[in-house]
Amino acid sequence: MTRLSPLSVPYRAVQRSASIAFALAFLAFTGGTTFGGFLGGLGAVALVGVVVVAIAGYELAYFRRFEYELTPDTLDIRSGVFSRRNREIPYRRIQNVDISRNVAQRLVGIAAVDLETAGGGETEGSLRFVSYEEARRIQSEVARLKRGGKDGDASEPEQELLFELTPRELAIVGALSFDLRLPGLVFVFGSTVFPIVASYVDVPVPAGSAAAATVGILAVGLLVALVSWAAGFASAVVNYYGFRLTRVGDELQYERGLLQRYNGSIPLDKLQTLTVEDNPLKRRFGYATLLVETAGYAPSSDGTNGSGGGRGSEAAIPLATRDRVLGLVADLEGVELPTFEGPPTRIRRRYAVRYSLVLGAATLALYGANRFLPQEIPWFVPLALVPVAVVAGALQWRHRGYALTEDHIVTRNGFWKRETRFVPYYRVQTVIERRTIFQRRWRVSTVTADTAGSISLVGGDATAVDIEVTDAAELRETLNDRLREALSARREARQQSRQAALGIRAAEPDRDADASDSGAVTDAEADVSQTPEFVEEAEPTTDEADDDAEDAADTGDTDAADTDTDDADAAEDADAAEDAENTADEPAETDDPFIWGESVESAGGDEEKADDPDESSDERDAI
Amino acid sequence: MYDVHALGGIPVNRLHPRIRLLWVARAVVFALVAGGVATAATLFAPVPIPTFVPVAVGGVFLVVGVAVALLRYRAWGYEVRDDSLYLQRGVLTKVNTVVPFVRVQHVDSARGPLERLVGLASTVVYTAGSRGADVAIPGLTPEGAEDLQDRLKRLAIASEGDDAV
Repeated sequence: MTRLSPLSVPYRAVQRSASIAFALAFLAFTGGTTFGGFLGGLGAVALVGVVVVAIAGYELAYFRRFEYELTPDTLDIRSGVFSRRNREIPYRRIQNVDISRNVAQRLVGIAAVDLETAGGGETEGSLRFVSYEEARRIQSEVARLKRGGKDGDASEPEQELLFELTPRELAIVGALSFDLRLPGLVFVFGSTVFPIVASYVDVPVPAGSAAAATVGILAVGLLVALVSWAAGFASAVVNYYGFRLTRVGDELQYERGLLQRYNGSIPLDKLQTLTVEDNPLKRRFGYATLLVETAGYAPSSDGTNGSGGGRGSEAAIPLATRDRVLGLVADLEGVELPTFEGPPTRIRRRYAVRYSLVLGAATLALYGANRFLPQEIPWFVPLALVPVAVVAGALQWRHRGYALTEDHIVTRNGFWKRETRFVPYYRVQTVIERRTIFQRRWRVSTVTADTAGSISLVGGDATAVDIEVTDAAELRETLNDRLREALSARREARQQSRQAALGIRAAEPDRDADASDSGAVTDAEADVSQTPEFVEEAEPTTDEADDDAEDAADTGDTDAADTDTDDADAAEDADAAEDAENTADEPAETDDPFIWGESVESAGGDEEKADDPDESSDERDAI
Repeated sequence: MYDVHALGGIPVNRLHPRIRLLWVARAVVFALVAGGVATAATLFAPVPIPTFVPVAVGGVFLVVGVAVALLRYRAWGYEVRDDSLYLQRGVLTKVNTVVPFVRVQHVDSARGPLERLVGLASTVVYTAGSRGADVAIPGLTPEGAEDLQDRLKRLAIASEGDDAV
């Protein structure tokens, strides 16, 4: 069992008390001066002191009660001051291992480690904080143990630098980034502060001429653009400074960040989808962005991990020439950019009409406002944008498309920000085909290949939008078929490689290993095939059990019922069949709902049992 | 609809007709609430509003809600195919979902209090997906729901879903 870094105690204590003490001090001092002057202030100081001591004590306890261990199969974490939690995370289920260090943490040499498994809205394993060396050790150890590595083979897997962001590219990333959050903040702040300021100072409000208003709006717009551009530049540089993407064995590792360094690993076999993203500027200069999605990242992580294409996609390549990005896609997934099949031509009109309608609505709203406002406003301005709407519609139509390659479905969408998404068939979870009431008029459908990623939560699934209804139905079925084929192909490949590996091992010492292995395989198979019977055994509903008991009592042959389970099974089956017939004949209303409620519960119980053998049988490769 | 046949026809399994009772009842309750809110607004509004307005609001909600409930029943269908569960539903937006059995994580059969009142149950299929993560089939008889749950469970086990994600 290993402890966290001792330095984490003062660091956590300072971190936590800084925010709480500040808030408390603020409250106490403002409250104190109104109530008791100096005494109140003293009380406040005492209160803050008590709180700080309490926090320090808590953090010490947290440190003393937090232990983790890298066992051969799992990462065990025991934590909790008041309520204890023992968590074991199997290495095979770990999707990402991320290390982050901000400036202060780098100064004292500690790092935060986050381990993600699939699903869930939170980080499953979080170590706050260990020394940086220990963090790197955990990262590489998890990778090694996941491969089933023994202590002996400590050989470093080969490293291959896939991508490094040059300073020039970093500058371009910054130049092409806009961050609207800062202007948003300024706006919120300004709109609350301005009235207060205006009440003290006589701010010259421009006279109500249309020209002055227009100039003012333009100036504000320009300012917002400038500020957001500067903010975007700063955050991109801070986020992507020193970005490197390396392939280490069967993992991707990335490194980035100026002030806060991020450092993470993504197993290649956990990749869900790859997305190539560009906008007109990037297209013009031949650049693109690559996003990598796994099932691990919580949707909230995009908030904490900075802006600039974060979106929970940490190994994202912020910017590189298009060829390089596509080359990397080919490298990682073995898929080239296909030729896309776009929506039917008539749909181009649909998009133009749609965007024009939006403009029409805006015009109408402005016109309405014009009627009620004392001042004349230029309500007809949106109409000037109609050509833009038509162009946007044409672009939208041109960019949309899908393609089925050998192993992937590739989709492309977006008229401004164009996203090309590569999804391997074996990653498809469900296929959803939808037609809105408007789409039905145009005889088109949208087909979505849902994956287990987390970006998808904001609507980023691979989607073939507005394709012919007949094509959509075909695509839906094709995806289902190819998923099945791809899965069985993978299973076969894995079995072969497993057998090959075992064959080598078995050839040397003796044949026993081979024999025992084949035994194990048949066992597993038998397990699966037996499961339904097993389920049936576990399933007797209350009345069936009663019947059995009665039967046994009638014949007086309790021993037979106990020992000869096969017979009992057969009897149960017969009972079940009878029951089914009876209930089929009777109308459902006569059933006592309470009994059904119970049987629902028992069904839930046997579900768990049924899951268990299944879980253990495919333990080696899920998720 | 003209395009249903293009999509391979209506699935064989329909919901239990009694589900309409539930959905219509829900629409009626919703219409009553809407009417109530409209009435309150009429009573406390600073400007006089004609008395027929809340009635009209309730009436519109009632008619639309009931119509949608009935249409929803007509649109719903599902099919347990060899390798997947196929669902077809939706009134305004038609949604067809294919859930391959290899992707099924677990299957529930559930009975809410209202469902119990009309003697119905539903089956919920969970996958690891992000937007189609849980797919519910309402309007089944309790035996039907359990039977379906059992069938789906066996099919999911038989399909050897090893790569859950």
